[in-house]
Amino acid sequence: MNGLLLVARREVSTQVRTRAFVIGLLVTALLVGAVSFLPKIMGGGDSYKLGLVNSQQLPLHAAAPDIEFEWRKFADEAAAKRAVLAGDVDAVLVDNARVLTDGEINTELGVLLQSVNREFKLGAAGVAIPPLEMQSVGADARYQEARQGIATVLVLLLFMLLMGQIVMVAMGVVEEKGSRIVEILLAAVRPWQLLGGKILGLGVVGLINLGTILVIGLAASSVSGLAADFPPGMVGLVVAVLVWFVLGYAFFATLSAAFASLVSRQEEVNTVLTPLTMMIMVTYFVSFYVTNEPTGTLATVLSYVPPFSSMVMPVRMAATEVPMWQVGLSMLAMALAVVVVLKIGSTVYERAVLRTGARLKFGEVLRSR
Amino acid sequence: MLEISELRKRFAGGPGAPGGKVALDGISFTVRPGEMFGFVGANGAGKTTTMRIVMGVLQADSGSVSWQGRPLGYDDRQRFGYMPEERGLYQKMRVAEQIEYFGRLHGLSAPAAKKATDDLLERLGLTERRGDAVQALSLGNQQRVQLAVALVHDPEVLILDEPFSGLDPIAVDALATALQERCRGGVPVIFSSHQLELVERLCDSVGIVSAGRMVASGTVADLRAAESGTLRVVVRDPAPGWADGLPGTVSVSGSRQVLLTDEGDDQEILRRAMKAGHVEHFGVEQPTLTEIFKEAVA
Ligand SMILES: Nc1ncnc2c1ncn2[C@@H]1O[C@H](COP(=O)(O)OP(=O)(O)OP(=O)(O)O)[C@@H](O)[C@H]1O
Ligand SMILES: [Mg+2]
Repeated sequence: MNGLLLVARREVSTQVRTRAFVIGLLVTALLVGAVSFLPKIMGGGDSYKLGLVNSQQLPLHAAAPDIEFEWRKFADEAAAKRAVLAGDVDAVLVDNARVLTDGEINTELGVLLQSVNREFKLGAAGVAIPPLEMQSVGADARYQEARQGIATVLVLLLFMLLMGQIVMVAMGVVEEKGSRIVEILLAAVRPWQLLGGKILGLGVVGLINLGTILVIGLAASSVSGLAADFPPGMVGLVVAVLVWFVLGYAFFATLSAAFASLVSRQEEVNTVLTPLTMMIMVTYFVSFYVTNEPTGTLATVLSYVPPFSSMVMPVRMAATEVPMWQVGLSMLAMALAVVVVLKIGSTVYERAVLRTGARLKFGEVLRSR
Repeated sequence: MLEISELRKRFAGGPGAPGGKVALDGISFTVRPGEMFGFVGANGAGKTTTMRIVMGVLQADSGSVSWQGRPLGYDDRQRFGYMPEERGLYQKMRVAEQIEYFGRLHGLSAPAAKKATDDLLERLGLTERRGDAVQALSLGNQQRVQLAVALVHDPEVLILDEPFSGLDPIAVDALATALQERCRGGVPVIFSSHQLELVERLCDSVGIVSAGRMVASGTVADLRAAESGTLRVVVRDPAPGWADGLPGTVSVSGSRQVLLTDEGDDQEILRRAMKAGHVEHFGVEQPTLTEIFKEAVA
């Protein structure tokens, strides 16, 4: 165990000190922060500037909470007209009776002014009209858009991190095999410790990355006000995403190490990893498709099938409500798959990593001896 | 005591050798505590294969390795020091960090690893380079780091595959001294080398391996005793034809003639030589390890 932790620690401290890691982390942090502020900067909800001449402010904001209203008072109609023509205000209410605009009034604003004015005057006259009660007979669609957006971002995040860390694992394995360090390493630690330590260490690096992104993303969204649009249960979702990353990473990283142990030169890493990267790509595309149709049959079925489940299930969880038992079942299946892959992968790694030279074949190595 | 007995290893054959290639054909030898064992043999004789099997990075087809009377296990090997034939270090890792890391992997505590590293860097003349990445070092200096990695945990046994190749004469001496010190401390040391004079100078015993078998082993003195020495006679201005009928070969160098032979009656030869001219040299020459080696693997 000690050997495994030592190996893992070396991986973390080596990676974390590289310029690539530091710059990568800074860039993603900035990017995530910027994305969280984007909707606000792009204009987000509507807002109107209104003027008053000898009039009372109307309770427009109470009628339309999503819209911002800014009121200004003008001394006389002439000053108000100048402001309207200069574009300083969108409309001016004069004597509680007329509205001045530059050309046709914006439809939304017009309707709002008319209806609130009517209600206000009726209220003043003692006539109270109960507001219409709004009732949806379909699913709760309030967060539909937000959920889909979050799911899309998540799947992209998982995909990029998975790819990055898996290539790291492969390059590390080949570095040790090609340079023959593995021979002195294996005189000191067992193969499973070396393999496990590398996977663990680079996994921690991946989690540092993912954690930073999620924390910055959540913090920046709550500062920017974007978080107000988030569906409830975001913290639970973040935790689930971390767990799914760990499972998916364990699955693919073990295979990556096993495939990489078949070759002895860095130039061969790309080729030998092709089947694996294809598999991750397919998983990604499927999950991406699922973000558009999170309740479809494909989504439901694949959210149980490892390794697709490692990305499809978090997407489903973000996009719709998924019962706990389904999540649990899917995690169990994935965990079992990880165990199987660990067994096969470590066998191949152990047998191949000392056989330097020409590229070996996965199946042959597995069957040998 | 490290006992290697009856190791056999066959490598799977490629297209050229369908039957496979026998690398080890029943190698056996023992190394006692405090003994420096020189492992010599032609290229491809099986030295590296033997050492890799001892270190557990290669599995033998049959045979056994035992340490202190018990089969050699993983935990024992963790206390061994190993320098493989193909050197390997993390090229981008710093020198001191790397040596410390391997010390830790071999079971040292962090402070102990640090102290051992500092000591070794000092001894190997690498203190100034401690913060450099390994790839910035010359090949010889990288080899010193490799050696430090093998020595850092104060190993119980040392297995070094061609540790002297690529070192300058100063470094050779430093390494020789370091090995002799460990040896005096009771550590069995096995090293392979093609520099036979060095082996002859350093080793208590020598094993000569040829085609996967141990063809001769023992102390250098024992091996010499097994060979009859060569009689060498130098005569100045001898009468022509003085050596006719004597065994051996005669060579002429200026006014001197040299007779070399390993048979015949030496007293008779001496009488003939004294009669023929002025005898400048008469003596039996001990064979060098090189000669013993050539004889053994022929
Ligand atoms: N991985 C391998 N696959 C196939 N044959 C091998 C392998 N390793 C060694 N051999 C063969 O085993 C034999 C012994 O090789 P070994 O490396 O042990 O020799 P050596 O005594 O160390 O030689 P050298 O002095 O050149 O280092 C050689 O014939 C070699 O070709
Ligand atoms: Mg060799």
